[in-house]
Amino acid sequence: MKELKAVLANWEAVIGLEVHTELTTLQTKMFCSCKIEYGAAPNTHVCPVCLGMPGALPQPNKAAIQSIVLAGLATNCQIQRRSMFYRKNYFYPDMSKNFQTTQGPVAFCMYGGIDLEVTGAAACERDQRQGTRPLASGDGYVTPIGIQRIHMEEDAGKMVHVGGESGRITGADYSLLDYNRCGTPLIELVTKPDLRTPEEARLFLQELRQIFLALRISDCSMEQGSLRCDGNISLRRRGSEQLGAKTELKNMNSFKNLHDGLAYEICRQAKVLESGERVLQETRHWEPSARRTVSMRIKETADDYRLFPEPDLAPYDLSDEFVASVRAMLPELPAARRTRYLSDYELPAADARLLAADNDLAAFFDSALLAASANTDGDLSASGLGGGKGGQAKSVRLVTLAKQLANLLLNDTQAYLNVHNFKLVDTSLTPEHLVQLAALVADGELSSKQGKEVFAQTIKEGTSPRDTVNHLGIKQLSDTDALQAVVNDVLARFPDKVQQYRAGKTGLLGFFVGQAMQATTGQANPQLLNEMFMQTLAE
Amino acid sequence: MNFTEYAALRVADIRAGLLKGDFTAHELAQAAGDAYQVMDGPLHAFLQPTPGLAQARAEALDQRIAGQSCDAANRRQKGSGTLAPTGQARFTDTVSTGNAFGAHTNHSLLPNNADLRLAGVPIAFKDNMNQLGTRTTCASRMLENYESTYTATCVDRALAAGALPLGKLNMDEFAFGSSTESSAFGTTQNPWDLSRVPGGSSGGSAAAVASGITTVALGSDTGGSIRQPAAFCGVVGFKPTYGVVSRYGVVAFGSSLDQVGAFGRSVGCVAAATDAICGRDVRDCTSQDSAANFEAAALAGVEQGIKGMKIGVVREYLSLSGLEAEVIRALEDAIGHLECLGAHIQEVELPNARAALSAYYVIGPCEAFSNLSRFDSVRYGYRQCGANNLNEQCERSRAAGFGPETIRRVMLGSYLLSSGVYHTYYYPAQQVRTLITQDYQRAFASVDALLTPVSPRTAFSFGEITDPTQMYLSDVFTIPINIAGNGGLSLPVGLGSDSGLPVAVQLIGPQFQDENILRVAAALEARYDIERLAPLYQRLLEAKGEDAYRVVNKRQNANERQRVDEKGMQSNNNERCCPAGQQHLAANNPDPENERGRAKDS
Amino acid sequence: MYLSENEVRDIATYTRIRLNKDAVREMTVYLNEVLDGLKPITQYQLEGVEPTFHPIAGLVNVMRDDVIHPGFSQAEALANAPDEQEGQFRITPILGGEGV
Repeated sequence: MKELKAVLANWEAVIGLEVHTELTTLQTKMFCSCKIEYGAAPNTHVCPVCLGMPGALPQPNKAAIQSIVLAGLATNCQIQRRSMFYRKNYFYPDMSKNFQTTQGPVAFCMYGGIDLEVTGAAACERDQRQGTRPLASGDGYVTPIGIQRIHMEEDAGKMVHVGGESGRITGADYSLLDYNRCGTPLIELVTKPDLRTPEEARLFLQELRQIFLALRISDCSMEQGSLRCDGNISLRRRGSEQLGAKTELKNMNSFKNLHDGLAYEICRQAKVLESGERVLQETRHWEPSARRTVSMRIKETADDYRLFPEPDLAPYDLSDEFVASVRAMLPELPAARRTRYLSDYELPAADARLLAADNDLAAFFDSALLAASANTDGDLSASGLGGGKGGQAKSVRLVTLAKQLANLLLNDTQAYLNVHNFKLVDTSLTPEHLVQLAALVADGELSSKQGKEVFAQTIKEGTSPRDTVNHLGIKQLSDTDALQAVVNDVLARFPDKVQQYRAGKTGLLGFFVGQAMQATTGQANPQLLNEMFMQTLAE
Repeated sequence: MNFTEYAALRVADIRAGLLKGDFTAHELAQAAGDAYQVMDGPLHAFLQPTPGLAQARAEALDQRIAGQSCDAANRRQKGSGTLAPTGQARFTDTVSTGNAFGAHTNHSLLPNNADLRLAGVPIAFKDNMNQLGTRTTCASRMLENYESTYTATCVDRALAAGALPLGKLNMDEFAFGSSTESSAFGTTQNPWDLSRVPGGSSGGSAAAVASGITTVALGSDTGGSIRQPAAFCGVVGFKPTYGVVSRYGVVAFGSSLDQVGAFGRSVGCVAAATDAICGRDVRDCTSQDSAANFEAAALAGVEQGIKGMKIGVVREYLSLSGLEAEVIRALEDAIGHLECLGAHIQEVELPNARAALSAYYVIGPCEAFSNLSRFDSVRYGYRQCGANNLNEQCERSRAAGFGPETIRRVMLGSYLLSSGVYHTYYYPAQQVRTLITQDYQRAFASVDALLTPVSPRTAFSFGEITDPTQMYLSDVFTIPINIAGNGGLSLPVGLGSDSGLPVAVQLIGPQFQDENILRVAAALEARYDIERLAPLYQRLLEAKGEDAYRVVNKRQNANERQRVDEKGMQSNNNERCCPAGQQHLAANNPDPENERGRAKDS
Repeated sequence: MYLSENEVRDIATYTRIRLNKDAVREMTVYLNEVLDGLKPITQYQLEGVEPTFHPIAGLVNVMRDDVIHPGFSQAEALANAPDEQEGQFRITPILGGEGV
């Protein structure tokens, strides 16, 4: 089979995603008051409603409707005031009523979309870039991805197949059903077929995940299945407008699998088409271990779900007040946050992206800078911390501090969290302490090496960096008189090197600074030393 | 208390007599049990009697009443406090009738400050209503062994109001029918003439009330299933406006059509029972707050009359083919009475009512198809074993578990909802529904209530109507208001001049103004001096001699177990893959009432 | 004739009701008879008429708060199960016996 790059040179891949997200941050299910909990003992979070007992009736969860409207607003959808729930009738044992309560032609959220930034290596997958615009940085492009709709529905129960070939449905002796998950609120987002590469699909899902995390409507765990994604893929010859036959790809339960599954399927379809055959409209299953997709069942005809309006549920006519109240709950979204970090703090693009993507880190970062602005003697207050709009004079100090802070969060803190498998809230680190540390480093009071030492103490013990500095006696030598002696001493010890330097081997500056650092057991301010050596040697 | 005394009691009499100490709840439960023993053999109104549940509640009620008068007496002696001004006792019994899903969690048998409007009132429930401690079979093999896992709101509210639950009543399977002949557990006989059907689908409810076994009964009405059997059995049957009574826990047939209502031998009884069960229930999104006081409305009808009220009649209805002369005569008599009462009779038109039957046979089966999909042999219900895969098991279980009429309706609904067909039938049927609803709105702009027939004819004989589509026609006067949602009441007006069987008229009110219906019905009722109690008991006595009551009683007791078995209520069908759990439960239960220990309410 | 026996058999399959040959024939007669009776619906002039899917006019946005109420115990959940194992409902294999 040809490589993806070669295939995409001749063929255009047309990809649409269907993304199912469980609203796991809610307390209760969609139509009953059973608790939502992953991993509970089987059939212990069930009731007449979600078990589909005779006579039970649904009672919709208001918070779920708020959540989906929130999701719609965050993805620029038009919120449909009038909509209804429908019954989608099909027999499958994991759906206790044998119909799924879902929405019909009108979903709560329709006709939205987001601008997807594709940068770095990911951007290379797409070499024909019509319909996109280049990023200002030159490193990639932005492409609009349309969202057809986001509708509200309910999840099914879980079925395990016992016997036969390792838990697969084929050849099982029997199956076991647990309905704890049945009835969990689920929002299904359907994109337009606007994606063109597996990387775009992967990045789109990542962006969506970040948005939903920022909205706090789901834990978006692909591992636990609270975020699931199916893909629709078809190929067409470059330049053609006609859509080819599409396959639906399932079981892409990680970002990597989404990318690799789509990449495989694109190549497979190209091979089929290039050999003169036609692509069958079917559902295929991605098998990560075998690195292939296999056919599940050919769709002979369109499924007939006997859809009709759910008579047990009142229709919706969302009021302006309701939508406005949800709009008021909208937090700052990752894209806006990213832009703010770039414009207000001039963070490196990669840092801005990483920080903005993580709710906890971003909140920590913002409150740390806010704390700094509250404590400072004035030089930060004019800088519009915490979301200040452009136009105001940026404080140089703020930019320095933010950069240092981002560095501490993305490197030192992340590393610590990874090693200990902690979340930020599990540690004793406070935004006030971290920004204090950032200031100590930024102001040259601590070397970055010393900074790491103090950081370790701060995150472990919860002590203030300044106290740690005082307590351990760590202090960066910035006294020029004291340092001049050290400089003079080093130069005196290496007269040959001084000669070589003066003869043009300026690279030796690092050597001198290193010697001086050694002499001060690392406490000297290296930047200051640098300047002093240059000056002294120039004399 | 002998049968005649027992059967003469109205809800209001029971309430008053109990609190005055004229009789005890225990005596009422005993009398009800005796009446059941004597009459249900030939009648077969009950699928599952629950005298144990009734007795337990009666005893608790008696104790509380005794305790309360004791407390009151003590307090009076101490000069601190008196009985509540209404004379109603406050009860704080904590017998559980519900698990977490009943409308009440561990609620008091008779909760604090409950208005005990049904204190001591014998009641029985159509067997599509879930009640903990009973099976809910919907008269279907599919649910033959289905143990209620929670209590329906209407049942819960009736019990909370102090009613004594006598048992679960026969019906057409899943309420599909107009004669109770489609029950999987045998027919119910009409207490006026045992060779005739009691009507349906709530035939057991109507027969149990008409025979005098119970004072009130609850039923459900999707296309006339309360009003038509009430008419056939000569009792009052009231289907309130859709939304007045919670449907939660009542096994659904047509979700947008179903409404729960009450049967009684007087308008007042039905009004009191409806007051007890109506009102908003968070578990049913379509249930509505109700400020109505139906009992007061009925009383107003008698005390203040209906002078000046405008009653509409539908002229075109009288020319409908199949409408029998005695039904027309009864309707004309009723018009005469209404005029005597000072009401204005006015003709109204319901031009689209003709299409109601077609709309009903689209909407009803579609909703039923979907509602009955849950019976798939996975979580509960009949399972036929031996299948190779789940589909096959499901297909075979449904084919064997459902009766022929159920299969017909589900098949019809399935077809009507299929793609392409949906827009030919379902969608236009719902548009027609709009037109029918507008007809009623227009009519009620000028009248306070409508007077129509209930059924084109009196009770027919068993097997007389075998063509299902002919059977559907018997609901032509009752179906339109299920389509429009309005309330309607079937009022018996005596025996037909030709058939000698009960004839009734129907009163229909504007949506959510059901008080109009009860007011007119109570006023009209007072004009008729007719017997509501079917002569079954009397005939049994005549047939068996003076001592028959005791003799029958004794024999019934001895044969109870076997009789229950004959009804198929406890069959141990070996063909079925009966789960160990169920067999265990069954084996643990020597009590013919099958009040399972797991969910006992005492 | 609205429906053929073959179509009726397909509907039965979809509806998960196994009908034998005779039952299919009877069902076909019945369905065709009923569909004939439903003609009035198909002949109505309904342009511009809104459907009434929900009979209570103006009833909208009925919702509950997101508050947990305890549900069934595992034993209650499984009380009516035709078959159970390890706290779960046990069912015949989905694909058993197909194409074998």
